[in-house]
Amino acid sequence: MKTRLFRVNVNYEFIGQSFLSHVLVGHCSNRLYEATATRQFKLQKELMSLMMSGNKGISAFPDGDNLFRWIATIQGAESTVYEGLKYRLMLEFPSGYPYVPPTVKFTTPCYHPNVDQHGNICLDILKEKWSALYDVRTILLSIQSLLAEPNNDSPLNTHAANLWENQTLYKKVLLEKYEKEARSKDNV
Amino acid sequence: MSQQQLHSQVAPQFWSHFKSALCETDMFKEVHQSIDELHHNLSAYWLSLERLTIVQSYVSEPMFDHAVYRETLASRLQLLVKAIIFSCTRKHFQDAMYHFYFQAFKAFNESRKENECDDDTPPRCDGCDNEKDLCSCDETLTVFQQVNSQLKELDLLAWLSGEPVTSLIHQRIKQHVEHSCQSNFEVPYLFTLEEWLETKVVGWLELMYCEVRHGGASEGARGSVAPYKDRLYYFLHDIYARTRIQQLFNIIIEFPESEPALTDLKCCLEKTNLRGMLVQALRTALETRLLHPGVNTCDILTAYISAIRALRVLDPTGVLLDLVCEPVRKYLRNRDDTVRSIVSSLIEDSNSELLDELVKTQPGPLDDSYTSDDQTDNWQIWQPDPVDAIPVKSASSVRRSADIISMLVNIYGSKEVFVNEYRTLLADRILTHYNYDTARELRYLELLKLRFGETQLHACEVMLKDVADSKRLNTRIREQWEQETGDEKAIAVNAMVLSAQFWPTFREEKVTLPDELQTSLDAYTDKYKVLKGNRTLCWKPHLGLVNLEIELKDKTLKLSVSPVHATILWHFQQKARWTVDELSGVTHMPAHALRRKIAFWQSHGLLKEESSDSFLLMEEQPGHGGHDLLLEDDEAESAMASSKDQKEEEMQVIWSYVVGMLTNLESLPLDRVHSMLKMFAMQGPGSECTIDDLKVFLDRKVKEQVLIYSGGFYRLPKQNS
Repeated sequence: MKTRLFRVNVNYEFIGQSFLSHVLVGHCSNRLYEATATRQFKLQKELMSLMMSGNKGISAFPDGDNLFRWIATIQGAESTVYEGLKYRLMLEFPSGYPYVPPTVKFTTPCYHPNVDQHGNICLDILKEKWSALYDVRTILLSIQSLLAEPNNDSPLNTHAANLWENQTLYKKVLLEKYEKEARSKDNV
Repeated sequence: MSQQQLHSQVAPQFWSHFKSALCETDMFKEVHQSIDELHHNLSAYWLSLERLTIVQSYVSEPMFDHAVYRETLASRLQLLVKAIIFSCTRKHFQDAMYHFYFQAFKAFNESRKENECDDDTPPRCDGCDNEKDLCSCDETLTVFQQVNSQLKELDLLAWLSGEPVTSLIHQRIKQHVEHSCQSNFEVPYLFTLEEWLETKVVGWLELMYCEVRHGGASEGARGSVAPYKDRLYYFLHDIYARTRIQQLFNIIIEFPESEPALTDLKCCLEKTNLRGMLVQALRTALETRLLHPGVNTCDILTAYISAIRALRVLDPTGVLLDLVCEPVRKYLRNRDDTVRSIVSSLIEDSNSELLDELVKTQPGPLDDSYTSDDQTDNWQIWQPDPVDAIPVKSASSVRRSADIISMLVNIYGSKEVFVNEYRTLLADRILTHYNYDTARELRYLELLKLRFGETQLHACEVMLKDVADSKRLNTRIREQWEQETGDEKAIAVNAMVLSAQFWPTFREEKVTLPDELQTSLDAYTDKYKVLKGNRTLCWKPHLGLVNLEIELKDKTLKLSVSPVHATILWHFQQKARWTVDELSGVTHMPAHALRRKIAFWQSHGLLKEESSDSFLLMEEQPGHGGHDLLLEDDEAESAMASSKDQKEEEMQVIWSYVVGMLTNLESLPLDRVHSMLKMFAMQGPGSECTIDDLKVFLDRKVKEQVLIYSGGFYRLPKQNS
């Protein structure tokens, strides 16, 4: 599992896939083991692709020795009100992953229409629209874009949702809150 | 009265012989005279003592137990003599005694030699440095015996001659051993040495202790020499072993021929206690003579291999080997090209030693520590490991059974490194020859599979299969081509279709091929697409081999060159003069790489640098004759990414993990970074990175100011604050 996986010479894609399915099928005898192995295997791969992708503004890494709990960092996208702000998140992967979505929470207090005061996020792909094809990278990218484009129809934070229309004022409140809560807490 | 006389007359008279330093010839004489006088003087005392005892036996009452009394008298006299005369021995006296015995020993040796071989008579006698006719050896021996018997009578033999004789014998043994086994390791010496000791030294001692000449020593003499004999044998073995240990490095280098020397040494080691010294000496020898940058890796390997073989003879359990070769293994581990050397010597014809080993031995899979049954079968001959064995990991069974190849492989502790290196080497061989003939490679692969297991070498199997497939594919496409077009102008293309996942990383180089060539490649791709459903080809334009026929004004050149070289020359068809910048624009190659490639054509005399960076095609050239030249591209460049590049690439991967880690976990100490990397990043084969390597790498990043190190923790610098 090294970089050379990523260079395509002559249609290696085909061979690569047949290998993956082999691993998944290979351990059917023990369901628990299969689940753990699959989850571990997938997470290792995800970590690898995340590390190698070099996406600006999103990053994640397992928290200590536990491969099933990750800490992620999201930076607000450019030319949005969240530009220059940095948020920490916590991702937890249940045993059913990737068939069950991971639990994702903000650990840095986040003033946003779809994030409540405990950091819970209201995002469809983390709930009913979850698919096993999503991975950490896509989740983080989705959250990053959610910051700039909130879904104001089902807000968790009504104050923020109401204020969203007035972007200048929103930014002012956001920065005040970020200064007060986030910086003091996280020192980022 | 007697005491005074002893003091005032006998002692000074005796010592007057040894007042000053004597020349060698005098020494012998003086010793002889002095002892003679002493004997003469003292005999008087003995005589009177004898009389006194007789008188006593008549006179004395039974109140004395006269036997005891006489005994005391005699011993008291001896004590007096020793005390008064030899209370202070002088240096010159010791020297003289030493020389006396030295002379006698030489004479004795000579007399024995004469007895053994009469026909081979040297003009001079070695014993006394005189002409043969004037040889005084017999005389010397007579004097020697006389002195000895006199001393014995006086009961001073052990007292006066013990030390000189011992040191003389030791020195003689040492000299003899060193002299006789200088640098010849191909003959066993131990037996001849023992024989020499028996006839010469022990014989001489016997002669000394009891005036018997030419064998036939009495029982008593044998008895008095016997305790010396064991010590002398021990000394001989000790000296011999030490000499051989000093030469052990050379013995190892010359191994199969030097086996007799090793057998001797083994025999001596069993009798002496020199294992520790052997280990120390050999380690030092190895370190000073082998393990320094001036020695080629393959030479170190050869030495290591013969060390393995030689020390196996010395110690079949392999414990010595373990102890001695530890530094070698450690050193080899640090050399970059060790694996490559091992693998290439494994599969190349030139060095057949390892290849033979590979073909010959058929062991089970490597380093699987299974407990075999045979150990319980012959439990009766089981031997425990020697005490100095390292009591770790490898059980004795493993140590005993390991053969040379597995020992080499185990230098690294893992076979992945080897398999990877083999893969690279195999790729190189395939891609430099381009001859689609894989029979030989397949044979080696099968042999290696026996050792490394199927799964490890799966990739290599795919590689060889790729080659075979490509061959078939080429034939197929060529047929089609001819049927369809019969186009003469198109360039014939043979492709090597490789499954990227199974091949090692290729060296990257950017080049744009000439349109004509590219068209042919595209045509090939189209045919391939038709044949293989929805697969396509991704060309590596810089790898390959182009057969060129260069028609010049006066001659034709046939060359096999790399595509890059061909491309450069191709462009000179259009115009005769190009600058590097222009060429770089057409081929999309960096200027420095171009210059290097142009140098190849310059060396063939086809291009000439007119002014700097401007090159001209030379149609005619002086010097070369007008005949066809068949030249090979001598610039042997590996198609694979060099191990340094690969390492760099690996480190880049590690760096992105470190960045990810530190972005999210703020700051971490070195060992945490390392353990996390080990857990999450370093799982692929060959991607081992020790904590020291990591530290060096991270420190470099700190210097580049992309990392901050403070208080034992690494963290990323803040971007916006």
